Amino acid sequence: MPYHLFKCSECIPEREKHAVIKGPGETLADALPLGYLNTIPGTISERGCAYCGAKHVIGTPMKDVIHMSHGPVGCTYDTWQTKRYISDNDNFQLKYTFATDMKESHIVFGAEKILKKNIIEAFKAFPDINRMTIYQTCASALIGDDINAIAAEVMEEMPGVDIFVCNSPGFGGPSQSGGHHKINIAWINQKVGTFEPEITSDYVINYVGEYNIQGDQEVMQDFFKRMGIQVLSTFTGNGTYDGLRSMHRAHLNVLECARSAEYICNELRVRYGIPRLDIDGFGFEPLSASLRKIGMFFGIQDRAEAIISEEVERWKPELDWYKERLKGKKVCLWPGGSKLWHWANCIHEEMGVEVVSVYTKFGHQGDMEKGISRCEEGALAIDDPNELEGLEAMEELQPDIIFTGKRPGEVAKKIRVPYLNAHAYHNGPWKGYEGWVRFARDVYNGIFSPIHELSLLDISKDEIPDDKGFMTQRLLSDVNLSDEVKNSTVLREYTGGYDVLRQFKDKVYPEFPGKSEADMQVSAI
Amino acid sequence: MEEALLKERAEELLDFIMKKCLWQFHSRAWDRERQNENIIRKTMQLLCDEPVENDTPEQKCYYVDAAYLAESYKKRFPWVAEMDKADLRKVMQSLKERLDYLLITGSLNAELTDPLY
Repeated sequence: MPYHLFKCSECIPEREKHAVIKGPGETLADALPLGYLNTIPGTISERGCAYCGAKHVIGTPMKDVIHMSHGPVGCTYDTWQTKRYISDNDNFQLKYTFATDMKESHIVFGAEKILKKNIIEAFKAFPDINRMTIYQTCASALIGDDINAIAAEVMEEMPGVDIFVCNSPGFGGPSQSGGHHKINIAWINQKVGTFEPEITSDYVINYVGEYNIQGDQEVMQDFFKRMGIQVLSTFTGNGTYDGLRSMHRAHLNVLECARSAEYICNELRVRYGIPRLDIDGFGFEPLSASLRKIGMFFGIQDRAEAIISEEVERWKPELDWYKERLKGKKVCLWPGGSKLWHWANCIHEEMGVEVVSVYTKFGHQGDMEKGISRCEEGALAIDDPNELEGLEAMEELQPDIIFTGKRPGEVAKKIRVPYLNAHAYHNGPWKGYEGWVRFARDVYNGIFSPIHELSLLDISKDEIPDDKGFMTQRLLSDVNLSDEVKNSTVLREYTGGYDVLRQFKDKVYPEFPGKSEADMQVSAI
Repeated sequence: MEEALLKERAEELLDFIMKKCLWQFHSRAWDRERQNENIIRKTMQLLCDEPVENDTPEQKCYYVDAAYLAESYKKRFPWVAEMDKADLRKVMQSLKERLDYLLITGSLNAELTDPLY
């Protein structure tokens, strides 16, 4: 597995150890990109900061909380316009964003007074919300404001409110991943075990590392409820503050994004003896395996099997419609962290695409181990790429589409490579069986959009054909398909609705007898 | 069983784990050792029709990953059901050694020995 030095990075030779090509017969023990290191001076990283990782990725998806940044107002930039971690309480956490608006005078004279004033004002402005998280930023960290002391003062003066403090300034790590780590550890140290929940089922889980991107959490929660499982907390998408204080009472931690949340699962295992089960919510086969395992853990595998049969029967013909049309298309899988391994194998097997490159902006070497293991030979794996490396890779690999964030995605568009937003999605949710078909539909729409027929022409030098009619998606995608596939009465395009979440609002779930109740029924018989 | 065939079989099983499973990738060496040891042992016990410990939450969690693995092996690799149990144990032992090498002793992942989570 040879290391790969991009031509554009020859002047930064340290970059060589950050990229490898997966060669035939080679293993992870032969070469592994370096990862989770400080960005090398001279390279323009696409990473976020440790504050961003703590606040904008992990903290803010909690839905019933005032999320306040103790710093300049610009630190709160990421909200409804860039983030799509929605919630079922009218998106309070996205609609309102709070900052103490630190200025030069606060840097000189301290900002603790203005912090306290802001906290009280915010609670008074939203009397229905009595939970708050406060995030340290670079500015407040450097001047040494004691946020914990101010939070304690307010909690004493305002009984009934609860405040969590996260000290993860922007410079507190090589990337946003440093912030993921800090907030995981801070939450378990400060808050887990401080609230006693109502337990309503014999089967209780924490759903960890799930951020409800365009409703993913609500889709997965639906499966769990159909199995009679109580989701005590979700860390953190669509999750509640007090639910997350109750994590110590779950029977099982079901971990989705290990990159951002394995720390709290590991600590819950050590401190409370709650085991950690890693799952995949993406892809028919991985999701089915995950539901089966959770069902088996609780001895209710039949409930999982019923859901799997129903969902696969409903959605598989639609997934396969897209698979037939996407076969062999080249994909660069360039997400932030966990999706490189969640998707690398199942998009190849279930959508038929070829993953020619994987990269991670803030992943660790463990993420590369998973991603490289799950992709096919010949793929180029890159850690913390810069913009020029991304361009060079796209020119060399000629992908049909890339899955990445909006910043590198817009760069790809400039060289006429379509992209899908791997962080916030295009038309999600993408988890669950229907979600996976929606993802396939977005991939199809991206690759076969007729706009590329025009955008690939350069009017300054190419001849513009005026003897051809307009090409539709179907004309483009079906050109090499057999009549059998084209005319199949089994395969069909996506038939789901625009809003897949509405169905969950008033849904009535089956009631299962509790274990003791079931035992009594058996004895009576 | 010939050494070459044993290794070939172990590699097939390994490839499935690396592409389809996540349990082997815990972030610290001691966790990887624990996971590999328990899940591979239970998988072998299931494939060899031996009793499997499954009575605590911790053991159950290993068990569900092992049960999925054993079931998948039987479906994907017909030779698993046909193989002599003594040979199957050897294949599983070879698989375990290979997994430990790739992900622990021979791993290039510098975070494995970090003493904290």
